[in-house]
Amino acid sequence: MRKKRKNRNHLFFIAPGFIFYTVFVVLPILCVLVLGFTNWSGMGEIKFIGLDNFITIFTDERFTPTFFNALKNNLKYLVCVWLIITPIQYLIAYVLYIKIPAHKYIKFMVFLPYVISTTIVGFFATLIFNPNIGFMNEFLEAIGMETGAWFGDPDWAFKLLILFVIWQGSGSGIMIFYSNFMDISQDVMEACRVDGCTEWQRFWHILLPLSLPSCASIITMSTIWALAVFDLPYILGGSNGGVNGSLDFANTVFYRYTFGSGLNGRQDYGFGAAICLIMFIIMLLVTFIQNKVLAKFEYDN
Amino acid sequence: MTKKAKANDFSITSGNGVMSGKAKAIRWLISIILIIYTCFTIFVIGATLLNSLKTKSDLVTNFVGLPKSVTLANFATILLEDDFLLYFRNSLILTVCGTVGCILLSAMAAYGIARYEFKGKSFLSSYFLIGMMVPIQVSVLPLFLILRQLGLLNHLLGLVLVYISQISISCLIFQKFFRTIPKALEESARLDGCHDLKIFFRIVLPICKPVIFTMSLITAIGYWNDFYMPMVLLGNKNVRTLTLAIYQYIGQFTKYMSESMAAVIVTLIPIVIIYFLFSSQIVEGLTGGAVKG
Repeated sequence: MRKKRKNRNHLFFIAPGFIFYTVFVVLPILCVLVLGFTNWSGMGEIKFIGLDNFITIFTDERFTPTFFNALKNNLKYLVCVWLIITPIQYLIAYVLYIKIPAHKYIKFMVFLPYVISTTIVGFFATLIFNPNIGFMNEFLEAIGMETGAWFGDPDWAFKLLILFVIWQGSGSGIMIFYSNFMDISQDVMEACRVDGCTEWQRFWHILLPLSLPSCASIITMSTIWALAVFDLPYILGGSNGGVNGSLDFANTVFYRYTFGSGLNGRQDYGFGAAICLIMFIIMLLVTFIQNKVLAKFEYDN
Repeated sequence: MTKKAKANDFSITSGNGVMSGKAKAIRWLISIILIIYTCFTIFVIGATLLNSLKTKSDLVTNFVGLPKSVTLANFATILLEDDFLLYFRNSLILTVCGTVGCILLSAMAAYGIARYEFKGKSFLSSYFLIGMMVPIQVSVLPLFLILRQLGLLNHLLGLVLVYISQISISCLIFQKFFRTIPKALEESARLDGCHDLKIFFRIVLPICKPVIFTMSLITAIGYWNDFYMPMVLLGNKNVRTLTLAIYQYIGQFTKYMSESMAAVIVTLIPIVIIYFLFSSQIVEGLTGGAVKG
């Protein structure tokens, strides 16, 4: 009797969340899968056109170069996440872990930008790098150096973007790495101290391998987010993706063609969904390969 | 450095090991570099604050220096002439409703999954993870169409519904937490004839106040700062949020310089105060369950 009652009661708890989640999270994902094969303009009948959208994406002479330039930027960004941002986060987490002087203050301050909205980060970037009145140019002028166009300069735009991403986004990763270090058993640390290993040995042979499994999931998440990056490049570069497309990402392209003017001057949600699908497939692919590599790396240790 | 000196060349966590002078110097060097780095944050926030207090003409001629005279006129302008109170209210409604709904739904769903045995339990718990693995940017277009169909485009309610549904991460963390609560408490209440829903709201939820608090903080910060979803789903001026308003100002930075300074300060103040009060809880909420394993 009691068992029967239990069986019914869990539905009370799960059903509300399940319904909302299904309608507003899962259903849209399924919709993208279907819409990508149509040329629906948002009104009227939905007509399936097979792979036409994908053929357009890869062969249209106006769209394809833009899209591939955006994908190239995404890839560049991803490489920066892997080779610059994540190592920096890891190292800062490490120096906080070994309690360098003033580590409490540093911890407090490096995490602060995490709670600042991306629009405000964009505002700060304008404040400093605005070519007309920004602090940077004022400063360079004052010391008699040449001023720059910064975000208006394709050579600089991407580098500055990465700098601001590090400033705003690295806090969360640092905290996660840091808490992973804190989870490592003190016994291991003690044993390693008794055995008299150097700081370098301890870092390389103990901390790194022990924290890798938990690093794998944060790297996966940051990869997914790197491929979906939108806010900061859009705010800094505008909807056209900056000068010469230097701040154009797959998502900005998607936004421009879906909610903006569209490819041929008509609203085509099917085409937008097709772009989403390709982004999604790339995400799956990169995550899959990355997990394979990380798993192998873990095994080696 | 000799090998022996090297052997002492570290401190575990308490700094009780004897450090060589060189190691100490390196530590200080790293720390100074990082302190200089953190000055950037102080500088940009401080500069914005000072500039927001300048008069319009003062700001144009004296962008870098200290204000010649302090004025609150910029704040008055944005609050009275540019409906910043309205934007503030919109952001607040979205954040509060979205967070409360999301936390409530995810806590309930997590409780149902963690505490009951039923068919398809493991499927359900991985089903709830999909939202974490697929960024919202992928599904924003159908969301836009669904809300348009429901007539909720450009309505705060539409975005609130979307926010409420983002339960993946909090559901995962709540599940982990519920597994750590001993069952005995609920069992005895059940023997006293308490209904399951009552047990949940009267006994279980009060126990998880700390977790609820940290999760709410993280969720609320995310919603307060959100830019993408409001931009796509809320186009009209009467439902504009603070982040969107600031974006409008950045677009015409040279025209609305002093207003944008004040606007940024107004948006920044609540979040910085919350950070100063609860930074450790925010960190905890972020690292708590999101990534382990």
